[in-house]
Parts: sequence; structure tokens; C-alpha cells
Amino acid sequence: MAGNGETIVKLAGINKTFYRGKEPIPVLDSLDLDVPSGSFEALMGPSGSGKSTLLNIIAGLDRPSRGSVSVAGSQLDKMSDGELAKWRSQTIGFVFQSFNLIPVLTAAQNVELPLLLTGLSGAERKKRVATALRIVGLEDRMDHYPRQMSGGQEQRVAIARAIVNDPKIIVADEPTGDLDRKSADDVLTLMTKLNKELGKTIFMVTHDPHAAEVATVQRKLDKGALL
Amino acid sequence: MNIATYARRNLFRRKGRTILTMVAIALAVLIFSIIRTVIYEWNRGAEEAAQDRLAIRHKVSITMELPYKYIDEVRATPGVTKATWANWFGAKDPKERIPFFAGFAADQNSFFDVMDEMSVDPKVLEEWRNTPNGAILGDLIAKTFEVKPGDDVTIASDIYPGDWKFKVVGIYKPLRKTVDRNSFIFRWDYLNNSDAVPPPMKDKIGWILARIDDAAHSAQIAKSIDAKFEDHDDQTSAMSERAFQLSFMGGFTAILTAFDYASVGILLILMLVLANAIAMSVRERTHEYGVLRAIGFPPAHIVGFIVGESVLIAVIGGLIGVAMTAGLINGVMGPFLEENMSGWFPYFSTPPYVMGLAMVAAIGVGIFAGALPAYRASKLKVTDALRRLD
Repeated sequence: MAGNGETIVKLAGINKTFYRGKEPIPVLDSLDLDVPSGSFEALMGPSGSGKSTLLNIIAGLDRPSRGSVSVAGSQLDKMSDGELAKWRSQTIGFVFQSFNLIPVLTAAQNVELPLLLTGLSGAERKKRVATALRIVGLEDRMDHYPRQMSGGQEQRVAIARAIVNDPKIIVADEPTGDLDRKSADDVLTLMTKLNKELGKTIFMVTHDPHAAEVATVQRKLDKGALL
Repeated sequence: MNIATYARRNLFRRKGRTILTMVAIALAVLIFSIIRTVIYEWNRGAEEAAQDRLAIRHKVSITMELPYKYIDEVRATPGVTKATWANWFGAKDPKERIPFFAGFAADQNSFFDVMDEMSVDPKVLEEWRNTPNGAILGDLIAKTFEVKPGDDVTIASDIYPGDWKFKVVGIYKPLRKTVDRNSFIFRWDYLNNSDAVPPPMKDKIGWILARIDDAAHSAQIAKSIDAKFEDHDDQTSAMSERAFQLSFMGGFTAILTAFDYASVGILLILMLVLANAIAMSVRERTHEYGVLRAIGFPPAHIVGFIVGESVLIAVIGGLIGVAMTAGLINGVMGPFLEENMSGWFPYFSTPPYVMGLAMVAAIGVGIFAGALPAYRASKLKVTDALRRLD
């Protein structure tokens, strides 16, 4: 499956300023961004360049100080916190650097977490969890706890959790940052598969040039502006 | 899996901390229950006092005595059906086998007629009337003194000097649980006729107990009894038996009030212990709550997870505490106190309402202890929560 060329993420005139006490710290400056549906984009840049802030704005975790954010047809800057939470659960899949699995839940239960917010029956949830874990190649680890798995496996469970709700976009913040090369390659291969075979739009922040090469589009951010 | 699974699994993430917190809650519930039981049982005698019985004592103090002749005037009061009297003896065991017991001199012809919750066989009563130094005992004091009907027993007094020798003529049977089974009752005339009682103390009675024909008229009858003695040197204070018992315990009111405050203090300590444990857990899991918020869980769910965990710890700790209460108070402490301190606690058992109250208090503490950390966690920005410990 390939992208259909429609814009799924459209940012216009985004400014983001944090404050340390009364001192303003500008992070993003008049930033415009269009991400086509079905693309796999990598965002690189030095520490403090605003990569994670941009990712958080696209994912509906943070709001811009100024500008408009349209993602998957929704105008995020006009939504309440509650609406944003619901929107995230239906539209976005998250992959974090440190996996962020819940240690007291098994792989299957971790993957099932986002489905608890839907009205799906237990049987339907179970079916979807099995499918997601099969896609990431961990159907035989359903009952394993995170501590019983390697870092690469944990990240694949996290990817299964990100796709179980069939989101339109997957946002990944340094998904290979905590992995060895072999595990990182496995994760990148999996993400490529999600993009190419399932048509998922992926927006990935990374420091790793090797990871960025896997993406179809590489962008660079420096001092709050896209280069 | 459902949403409660996460809260349940979190419960034993820090096993040691959770178990210690539960033990603290269980002990607090136990101490709370003991204190509430003491207060409850202390007041129970008064609460279960006969409604149709009046007590008449000296207006100034229970320690001052009334002239013996007052009994006839009380008996002649309209509404009074029968009356009896007794004197406090200040009894003590010369061998100190028991630290305190109620010993009093009573009228052999009317006492058990008015105090009908103490049942005595008519043959025993007859023998008592024919035995000047006869005494009727509760079963527990008889057991302590190792005596049975027909045996002789010697006791001493804080008020009247010398050794006092009695013949046990029988054992009274309590018909209510609040009846003291450690009482030692002997004849008033035996005391009054004794050379150990100096002339000014003769023909005096400690208090009068009167049965009335209608409990609804008790205030009116009490008023008319007091009116009879208004212009006498020794004025009376007639009151319901409940009020009499409460005034008798009046000296302990401050202690009971202190106990009352202590039980509230226990709850506050309990809340702080639990709140501290929950706050630590929340702090450790802030990042995790950020992840849950990121994947779409609304703040209300975070509040539910935290408060749910807090309440679950409180409920489990509370149930352990209630089980300990049932086993320790009702199984061990109660029987011990009933046997050895029957004068104060003729019956000592934690009533179901106290256990229920302890559980409700534990649940309330669970909610309050979890509320603040839950509120703070729910208000944290998702990006800030994700940044924590990351």
C-alpha cells in the first residue's frame, strides 16, 4: 500500500514558546509543515531543536502558542483536553524511546490497553490483540511480562499497542534510541512494513541517521525552524 | 482484562510497602475498634437501664447518705410500686485476688424484687432472710473466691474497719448481659447492727431504687419524690436509673471523651500512612500515567486508578483489622475482661456496628488518602508526565 498523496498533517504558522519563570524560551518559530497521507517521515535535528515539541503538537499532546494544527481532518487547536484524549485514542499510535510498557501487565494486556477505551467486546479485543502481536511477530509471547522480554521485543510489543486501534498515524519518538543495532533494524523493518503494507503514516523523530535513511522523507529541524 | 485489572495489579508492585501499609491499617482498625468498644460497653449499662426504675440519692453527692426512714416516704409516693435500698461497702479482697468488685449491703426483703434482672431462687432468698450474715454472690466472684453456697468467706472494706465474715447462701443469675457477675451482696441490717459502724453512720442508706407504674411518668414521679424532702436537712435527687448510672460514671467522662478524640486521631494517622504510601506510588508511576494519558485515557481514569488502589488497600487492611477485632476482642480480650473486670465491663464484645463503622472509616480514609495524589496526577500535563523519569 502506498500513500494517496492527501495531506494528513497540516501545520501553519506554528509558534511554541515555553517560559522559565517570566523568561520566554521560543522553541518553534512560524513553522509550516504538510505531511502526505501514507508517508514515512523522519525528523532529525540537534538536541533542543524542538523535535519532540513538534511531535507532541502533531500527536495532540501539546498545544502551539500560536498557529493552526490540522491532523487527520481534525483541527486540534480548537479541541478541548477531553476531546483531544478521545481523538488520540482513535487516531494516533505512539511508539516511545523507552518502550513504556506497563510492567505489571503481560504483552497481550499491554496491547489491549488502548482497546479498553472502545466499546469492543472482550472477544473482539482478544482477536485484535492477537492480530497486532502477529503483525509484530510476537504471537508466542502474549503472556510474557515486559521483564521477561528483550528490549527489541518490548519495542515490538509497544508497536503492537500503537497499531491495535488501527490508527491513521503512528508517531515515534526515538524508537531505536534504546536498542542495539540488530534490534533497531528489526524495529525499522517492522515500521517500514507498517507503512508499506498497512499504509500507516509514520512520523518519526530520531537522532540516528541510519534510522532516518529508512524513512521516505527526511526533514531537519534547527532552532525551531524546518530547514 | 478490564480497567480494574491495572489498579489490582498495581496493588502489589511494591509488595513490602503495600503489606506494611495494610498491616498499619489493620492495626489502626483494631485499635479504633477497641476504643469504640470501650466507649460502647462503658455506656451500655446506662443505655440498657430499666426504664421504669428510679434512683434516689443525696442531692449533694452519691457519697453522702440518706436517712433510713426516707424509704417509707418514697414507697408512699403515688406512682411508686415498690422500692429498696443499698449501701456501698467499699469491698476489697484481703487476699487481693481481684482488684475491684462491687460489694454492697441491701435489704433482704426487697432488693431482688426491685432488681429483678438478678434472679435468685426463692429457697435461697428464704435462707438469706434467715441468715443475718448471709451473702449472695455473682458466679464470677464466687469462682474467684473459690466458694460455693454453704461456705464462709471473709472480705474487707475501705469504709468499715475489720474483717467481715459472711456465709454464702447462694448465687444470683444474671438475666441481662450487662449485669455485673462480680457483685457481692449482703444484708443491710447486718452492717447497720455491727459495732464496726459508728453511731452517726447507723440508720443511713446509700441510695434508693424505686419501681414505678408507668415509665412515661418517671420525670413527674421523680419531681414529687424530691418535693417531699425539699424542706429536710438531707434533700434528694431522684432520677431515672439511666441518669443515675451516668452520674455514677461521671468521673470517667473526661477519660471517655479523651478516648473519643483518640479514635479520631487514629483515623487521621491512618490517613497519613496511606496517603504517604499512595503519594510514593503515584510519584513512581507519574511517567506511566503520562503514557496512559497519551494513548487516550482521560484524567478521570487516572483518578479512578489511584483512588481505586487506595481504597483497595484500605478495604483489605480494614477487613484484616475487623477479622483481628473479632478474634482478639470477642475471642480473647472480651472473655478476659468479663471475668476479671466485670465491675467495669460485665460484658465486653465489639458490636457489629463498630466493625461496620471501622470499615466505613477505612473506606473513607482510602478515598481521602488517594484523592489528593489522584487529583495532582490527573492535572499534570501529559508532556510533563512523560518527561518525568524519562
